[in-house]
Amino acid sequence: MSQATTAAPFTPEQQKELQGWTTYYPYPIMGLLEAMRSVQTWHRCIKPEDVVYLAELFKTSVSHVHQVATFFPMFTQRPAGKHRFGICHGLSCAIAGSNKISKCLEKTLGVREHETTADGAFSWEEMECIGACDFAPALLVDEHLKGKATEEAVAKLAKELK
Amino acid sequence: MTKILTQHFDNPKYHELETYRSLGGYEALAKARNMTPQAVADEVKKSNLRGLGGAGFPTGMKWGTVPPVEKAPERFVVTNADESEPGCFKDRVLMTLAPHQMIEGLLIACHAIQAKWGFIFIRGEYADQYDVLKKAIAEMEAAGLSGDVKVRLMRGAGAYICGLDTALLETMEGKKAWPRQPPPFPTVAGLMAKPTVVNNVETLSMLPHIVANGGQWFADIGFKGDPEKKLNPSGGTAVFSISGDVEKPGVYEFPMGTPLKTAIEAAGGVKGGRKLKCVIPGGTSTPPLTAEEVGMSMDFDHPRAFGTFLGAGGIVVLDETRDMVEVAHNIERFLAHESCGQCTPCREGSEWTTRILERIMEGGGVEADLPNLQRVGENITGKVICALGDTVGVVVRGYMKKFPDDFKKRIPTPTAPANPLPAAAGAQSAERRDAIPQK
Repeated sequence: MSQATTAAPFTPEQQKELQGWTTYYPYPIMGLLEAMRSVQTWHRCIKPEDVVYLAELFKTSVSHVHQVATFFPMFTQRPAGKHRFGICHGLSCAIAGSNKISKCLEKTLGVREHETTADGAFSWEEMECIGACDFAPALLVDEHLKGKATEEAVAKLAKELK
Repeated sequence: MTKILTQHFDNPKYHELETYRSLGGYEALAKARNMTPQAVADEVKKSNLRGLGGAGFPTGMKWGTVPPVEKAPERFVVTNADESEPGCFKDRVLMTLAPHQMIEGLLIACHAIQAKWGFIFIRGEYADQYDVLKKAIAEMEAAGLSGDVKVRLMRGAGAYICGLDTALLETMEGKKAWPRQPPPFPTVAGLMAKPTVVNNVETLSMLPHIVANGGQWFADIGFKGDPEKKLNPSGGTAVFSISGDVEKPGVYEFPMGTPLKTAIEAAGGVKGGRKLKCVIPGGTSTPPLTAEEVGMSMDFDHPRAFGTFLGAGGIVVLDETRDMVEVAHNIERFLAHESCGQCTPCREGSEWTTRILERIMEGGGVEADLPNLQRVGENITGKVICALGDTVGVVVRGYMKKFPDDFKKRIPTPTAPANPLPAAAGAQSAERRDAIPQK
């Protein structure tokens, strides 16, 4: 790895993990998606300096990494909450009342969709079908299915995860 | 009733290697490895297994287009576990309860096309299933079952379009998920330009059973085709996801050729004893059926006559209280959001269609809207790179054709004033940046 002109935005352990993604698959570039996921988990967003670092690590252009960072909904440009709540508004969940849960999330967490609470703990978003139509309206927290969303379930999770 | 994939679902430890093996698991893999790759592929051809991720392409035929190993020694098998079609959750359940069934199928496919890498691309939102698979792969490797194949997981990052094979491959190559325009097809030039077979979770899960019992057994279970009526066979069974206005949403396995109404009855019928209005047969990308059409046979060919297709078997049941303009809007909004943006007709047409439907929903519909929706749809379908764009045009026209009254009643006649209807359950919030003020 050549010397970056600015200090790397990652700890030595994090750098080691990112390096690992360049050898996990048969071709180094295939590790970019998972590496970016690691960055999103640590920084809760993909910062410009992260993009530069990844471009150098994966031997590709900043433009390429930026395209990936801005295409996929999981990656954000500003910090998401430490815990991301997702309420599905696909068809089966919409007809089961997902709209009510959206309003409940806004009220309980105190922020609008895609905004993050001041303490950085929470953000929420309406999601497209998360493959849990049997639990409509389905609630996802940090990519884990939390079953059927109710106002009580939302309040309980908000309290537990704070 | 024959159950192939779900037969052991009541066993709470079926996801564990020891239990899976005690019930015959991984014996088919051993049998396959003692057969030539061609012999395995021939059984799959004979079985009439068709892709269960939505396209229904004959699996044996797809494998047959992979170039010979002398010409192209490096090749891959990719499991498409990016299930994102609204209404579908059978892959989620299959991976949770029977991960080894899928892994065994993946290894059989690797043997059949002589691939040394088997990938599982799983949507990021299936974090629990990712954990289950990680554990199962480790068990499988520790038991020395992987042979000369390396199995690797990769997680998606929230894009529906990654369920499309070429977009999935772009994503695996570390790029944004823009679909490719074949030819070349992935089996010729796929992942990193190498021959790649992309198969759905459920399709791969069928392979151990086909190898164990023979292709003919599988073909006999399903719909054997009707050459006179130009209907091709669909082998074996399919696992259907049933949701919406039903008493018991869940996954249900039926032989190909089972009537749709059998599936609805198995799920307890319409919830609350209400009247059935509409059934979506294969996920929201498939055009809808009216209540009179539920006798339709569920295989890959009969649905054509009803103007729809089997897709990935995501059955959504809608009762008499549901409004089809709102349903069509929900689906078009989804497609507009998920459009990758590459093709102008889809990128612009999906947003346009969604806004017209929103305006109609809020009482601002005008006479030109319905022919306009028709025209916009016609100018997208068939004029774009991938099936998502095709779907944008097909869906709205499908709802207008089968449920014209729901649309017509929202459009004021020239002599009557506009009459905004009260917002029904599930209607979207009016707080959008382009909200049309009510008259």
